[in-house]
Amino acid sequence: MGIIYLMLIVSLIIALIFLFSFFWAAKSGQYDDDYSPSVRILFDDEKQSTENQQTDGSTEV
Amino acid sequence: MSEACFHCGDEIVGRPIVYDEKLFCCNGCSMVFQLLSENNLDSFYTIEQGAGVKPKNANTHKYAFLDVPEIRQKYVTFEDENSLHLTLFLPTIHCSSCIYLLENIQKIEPNVSSCNVNFVQKTAAIILKKEASLSEFALLLDRIGYAPNFGDKKALEKKRNYQFLYKLGVAGFAFGSIMLWTFPEYLGIEDDNPEIQSFTAYLSLAVSIPVLLYSASDYLKSAYKALRFRSLNLDVPISVGILALYAQSVYTILSGQGTGYMDSFAGFVFFLLIGKWFQSKTYESLSFERDYTAYFPVAVTRINEEIEEIVEIDKISIGDLIKLRNEEIIPCDALLTSDTVSIDYSFVTGESEPIRLHKGDFIYAGGKIVGKPAIVRAENESNRSQLTRIWNESGESATEEKSDRLSVYFLSGVLILAAASAIIWYFLDLHRIVEIVVAVLIVACPCALALSKPFTYGNITRILGRKGLFLKNAEVIEQLNQTTDIVFDKTGTLTSNKDREVQYDGAPLTDSQKLAISSITNASSHPLSRAITLQLQKEGIQPESIEEFEEVSGNGIKGAYEEKQIQLGKASFVGAISHSNETEVHVKIEDDYLGKFRIESAFRTDIFKVLETLGSEKEIHVLSGDSEKDKTKIASAVPNIKELHFGQTPEDKKEYIHLLQNKGRKVLMIGDGLNDAGALKKADVGIAISEDIFRFTPGSNAIIDADSLAILPQLLNTSKFSRTILGICYVFSILYNIVGLTFAISGELTPLIAAILMPISSITIVFISTVLAYLKAN
Repeated sequence: MGIIYLMLIVSLIIALIFLFSFFWAAKSGQYDDDYSPSVRILFDDEKQSTENQQTDGSTEV
Repeated sequence: MSEACFHCGDEIVGRPIVYDEKLFCCNGCSMVFQLLSENNLDSFYTIEQGAGVKPKNANTHKYAFLDVPEIRQKYVTFEDENSLHLTLFLPTIHCSSCIYLLENIQKIEPNVSSCNVNFVQKTAAIILKKEASLSEFALLLDRIGYAPNFGDKKALEKKRNYQFLYKLGVAGFAFGSIMLWTFPEYLGIEDDNPEIQSFTAYLSLAVSIPVLLYSASDYLKSAYKALRFRSLNLDVPISVGILALYAQSVYTILSGQGTGYMDSFAGFVFFLLIGKWFQSKTYESLSFERDYTAYFPVAVTRINEEIEEIVEIDKISIGDLIKLRNEEIIPCDALLTSDTVSIDYSFVTGESEPIRLHKGDFIYAGGKIVGKPAIVRAENESNRSQLTRIWNESGESATEEKSDRLSVYFLSGVLILAAASAIIWYFLDLHRIVEIVVAVLIVACPCALALSKPFTYGNITRILGRKGLFLKNAEVIEQLNQTTDIVFDKTGTLTSNKDREVQYDGAPLTDSQKLAISSITNASSHPLSRAITLQLQKEGIQPESIEEFEEVSGNGIKGAYEEKQIQLGKASFVGAISHSNETEVHVKIEDDYLGKFRIESAFRTDIFKVLETLGSEKEIHVLSGDSEKDKTKIASAVPNIKELHFGQTPEDKKEYIHLLQNKGRKVLMIGDGLNDAGALKKADVGIAISEDIFRFTPGSNAIIDADSLAILPQLLNTSKFSRTILGICYVFSILYNIVGLTFAISGELTPLIAAILMPISSITIVFISTVLAYLKAN
């Protein structure tokens, strides 16, 4: 049955790891703004695509 | 016919400005478009349609104060040899296009290294290169429609509080872990391995300590404070429940009898915090604490021995000469030393037309200079002006700390029951008294009861917010439900500042004259000009382009159409005489005075129906600062109106509410802006009406979006429905308590029954409250 004690401790440690990563996430501001990042990720794509168009254009010329 | 402006999406009134085959409503919008398209920021328009903000004409000195080292230091958070960092509050941020534009602003202004928008807080964290000028950068933001707000430093200084999230995290972690460890008990197999059971019990105990001391600390502190002042609040029964549950569990664990109710304990705290989080989520981006200071300038131009210098507002002392430019706000009561000046007092009086003052006249703080710059002499310091007085007088909060009657009944009920069961068991079995009494206290723990309120109010707050009524906190719901009287302000509340009615008085106009007038007004972006253009358009006049045009700020416009000189504006501007207090635009073509357009703000659509519906349940009062001209109109449209008063000053309105309150009435005041601020604060519930909820939020209990005023009866109804939900929740939780108490008093309360009963009761309440609220909303 000794293994049960080990498992309990391990489960606690894993839970603690998640708790502290939650603290870290909160502290580093990841919950400050739940809207901008969802939009921002789309902008990056667009920027690349305009750059691509430009390079395409220059090769044609 | 009605095209939308390509930049700001507003309906184009009159003749659109065409640029690059796109239509714009005004020059400002087309300028922004040019700027963006020149810098390859066209995507701004593909992300959302008509997302732009109509820029206002900012004078070039507007942000000059940012170059004064002391002031600059206040806003710059970090500075080194190459860069400076600052966070700006940009209240007009409203959509994803805004984020795109601001984060790509370095394409327009190469001195920006990076710009990071926080959409929820409406701020932008900006890194500028050392050589950048702060004032020029602020002006650029202003020109593209994102005028930074420097008055409201509180919003920036407010460090985000992570404590609450931590508390929630700790409680959630403990709840999950303890449930996992208690799982064998749920299945009734705990007796197989007493060692493991006691091991998990001690683990639960260890994990639960931070829940009690940290996560639940707000409730315990608040209850302690209430008891110390010999009063009761809702946190008292919650705290009693928490402590009884915890003490019993600790005792059970330490005496080796089992695992106690640590899962219920942690779960209870976790659900309580979630309810609170629900409530706070809705109005994160709204600020209710902003006051008149948000509109006051940070710095002004002082004339010191003929030299103009920019100084901080606090440094102005009596007798200083101050130079104020167009659109600048008068920071303190003052005497006018230049010849004449036009001042817009709409902040103070609600009257949108500027008034004209002459040399030596006394000027009250809070007005805005229109047109020509003025030089004034300060008569007092900026924090002692009339505006401040109105605000400070109404500083005392309308709601007193009331002891929660329900919790008093509840607590006494539980104590009586505990005493009764003690007496019964005294005769039955003396040794079990302590055990039974504790069991009664635990089962009676008002978990479900205590959760009902925060969850119901949290849900209702969210629903109301989605429909355009934003409450400052959940208590407002309770106060809203108790109101007996509703007091409406007229200007800006019953009437809209956007819609105007135009009437013409004077010599009849021929079509060619109308065409001339509309062509001139079409060239101006002044709201009155737009109103006239729109009115003439309704009469079938399409404006044409004109040869000459000049706008005399604060006075009027003049121009030439088909070689005829046309002047429109104030009576004095066209050389006429008028003693009317109404908003008028006088017309002169060549040398002939023709007449005047009277412009009135129009009543909001359906507003009378709203008043009538509300009037069937509550007493309706209308107070207006205007003359009596609309009296018959309102009185005949709304037969069940109780009182109608005109010519009321802000102080009168406040006094009126005070009188009602003395008669024992609960007053809901709905008004706009700063001029009603005192009355809004005085009322039991003050709702500020706002065309743009994010821009103008004075210290009131709630803010209503102007468009949502039409559904006000429905909103009040929703708020009232919270009573029904609470009632149902109370019935359920009392049922649970009765079942639990029956077990407890009869001495049959096994840990299994308690473990199942308590979390389930909490979860049902959360479920019922949420489902009912959303059913009602749809």
